[in-house]
Amino acid sequence: MSILKTDNLTYKYSVGTPFEVTALDSVNLEIEEGELVAVIGHTGSGKSTLIQHFNGLLKPTSGKVYVDGQDIWESKATLREARFKVGLCFQYPEYQLFEETAFKDIAFGPKNMGLSEEEVKERVLRAAEFTGVTTEMLQKSPFDLSGGEKRRVAIAGVMAMEPKILILDEPTSGLDPKGRDQILHLIRNYKNETGSTVMIVSHSMEDVARFATKVLVINKAQVVGYETPPETFSHAEELTGYGLDVPEITKVFLELKKRGLPVRTDVYTLEFGMNELKRLREEGFEL
Amino acid sequence: MSNVTIGQFFPGNSVIHRMDPRMKLVLTFIYIIVIFVCKNFWALGVMVLSLLLVIIISKIPMKVIMKSIKPILIIIIFTAILNIFYVDSGEMLLHWKFIKITTGGINTAVFMIVRITALVVASSMLTYTTSPTLITDGIERLLSPLKFMKNSVHTIAMMMTIALRFIPTLVDEFDKITNAQKARGADLETGTLIERAKALIPVLVPLFITSFRRAYELAFAMECRCYHGAEGRTRMKIMKYTKLDVFGAAFIFITTSGVIALNILFEHVI
Ligand SMILES: Nc1ncnc2c1ncn2[C@@H]1O[C@H](COP(=O)(O)OP(=O)(O)OP(=O)(O)O)[C@@H](O)[C@H]1O
Ligand SMILES: [Mg+2]
Repeated sequence: MSILKTDNLTYKYSVGTPFEVTALDSVNLEIEEGELVAVIGHTGSGKSTLIQHFNGLLKPTSGKVYVDGQDIWESKATLREARFKVGLCFQYPEYQLFEETAFKDIAFGPKNMGLSEEEVKERVLRAAEFTGVTTEMLQKSPFDLSGGEKRRVAIAGVMAMEPKILILDEPTSGLDPKGRDQILHLIRNYKNETGSTVMIVSHSMEDVARFATKVLVINKAQVVGYETPPETFSHAEELTGYGLDVPEITKVFLELKKRGLPVRTDVYTLEFGMNELKRLREEGFEL
Repeated sequence: MSNVTIGQFFPGNSVIHRMDPRMKLVLTFIYIIVIFVCKNFWALGVMVLSLLLVIIISKIPMKVIMKSIKPILIIIIFTAILNIFYVDSGEMLLHWKFIKITTGGINTAVFMIVRITALVVASSMLTYTTSPTLITDGIERLLSPLKFMKNSVHTIAMMMTIALRFIPTLVDEFDKITNAQKARGADLETGTLIERAKALIPVLVPLFITSFRRAYELAFAMECRCYHGAEGRTRMKIMKYTKLDVFGAAFIFITTSGVIALNILFEHVI
């Protein structure tokens, strides 16, 4: 059974005013447990709107949202359950820190779940370890941390709730390449060790190619693709039509193909590319 | 939070939108005074008709106008009820123990409803058709003959412009942070008043911090562009009265004359 499912999900902002916008248009999708899904789409395509439906922050204008097979809008209890099953981390989450210490801020979520003090502490420490937040940082005021450290504390705040499904909206925006890499690695580690399902909204095709197991493509309020990264990037032209890019390495191989070399066009990582070139050389092509 | 319309600008390109903001301010002010001068339904009818005409010309949808009345609906109803029971004149319609309802009371109640509604709609028409910046600019210029306090007029106008400009940003920010904390299980909707006030802390702290940060950034940005108050400051857009403004003034003048004439001609209700 799929862990996340939407059934003809439609969402409109500012219904009944001249500013009405259809941000999601009859979206049907099914996501299996344990995937690391990357959500890509041009700016304004509806990515943030979609993910806010999974924990019931937005109520569908029409259609249904199922988490773990349960219609989340069935009752107050199911909605609350969805809040805790699906951990949602917004873009620039560091602007939502408010407590005196990083420790207390990370503890905010687990406390709201009504856990015992012992358990809360355990979870905070576990989340801190996942995100590389040191004991020293935990005792500091979150406002005294650097941008990247704040981001980790904020992500830890969501991870500490140990959601079955972790959703992050552009968790790497505004970070340097190293910071980005670290965040992505820790998210993957979290997924591998806890076996949870993870969804990441991203604008970096390189990151998507390296980390995702599935890619969800959104264009103009509609889902236009849900496949593995190589499958997705093999329709480079389509993606460009949606205002999206493909990884640089894919572009290189597309160009080689155009110039007459019999290469595969679904190459999306450097490693994969190297192997493909090696194969070509072994087959006796002059490179 | 996202349906606050009072004081919201409704972009457009109608004749009303293009009028000089100073003229619109003055005419709205006069209009509001004249509403209070009306003594009978004939005079009030003229005011309502002229307001309807302005609404039609401005092309602002009726739905939007209705929205501006919503926040004061309770006040309107309250005033109406008070008047029905309080005013004791004309024919007696109902007399039960201490409750008396008279035609005079009902007339006054209807009069009040129309008057308050016209008042609110007229002032919303100003804000719907004029951007907040233009309004404060207009106020600043209307007050600029007060030379001795020119500097403070400019400062206050600038502060108002900035404050108005950032209201939607703050509302957005508030929504965003609320959602983020809700996603962490914050419960803002249930509990006693004190509990709910406490639950707002996780929203208000980040909101204040972001606002201060934004204020500093804005101040830096303004200084980088050599902003130093009113002294020697020239305008990018020069406000000029045009034919439209003459028409507008004439329109209000005719309406006012009509109201005065009807006040004299017909019996007073209030
Ligand atoms: N609060 C809101 N009120 C009205 N319209 C909105 C609101 N939030 C988003 N929209 C509109 O809904 C559409 C989808 O927005 P959304 O934020 O989901 O896009 P996105 O894919 O996340 O974009 P980005 O990559 O820039 O974050 C856009 O057209 C946007 O203008
Ligand atoms: Mg977004």
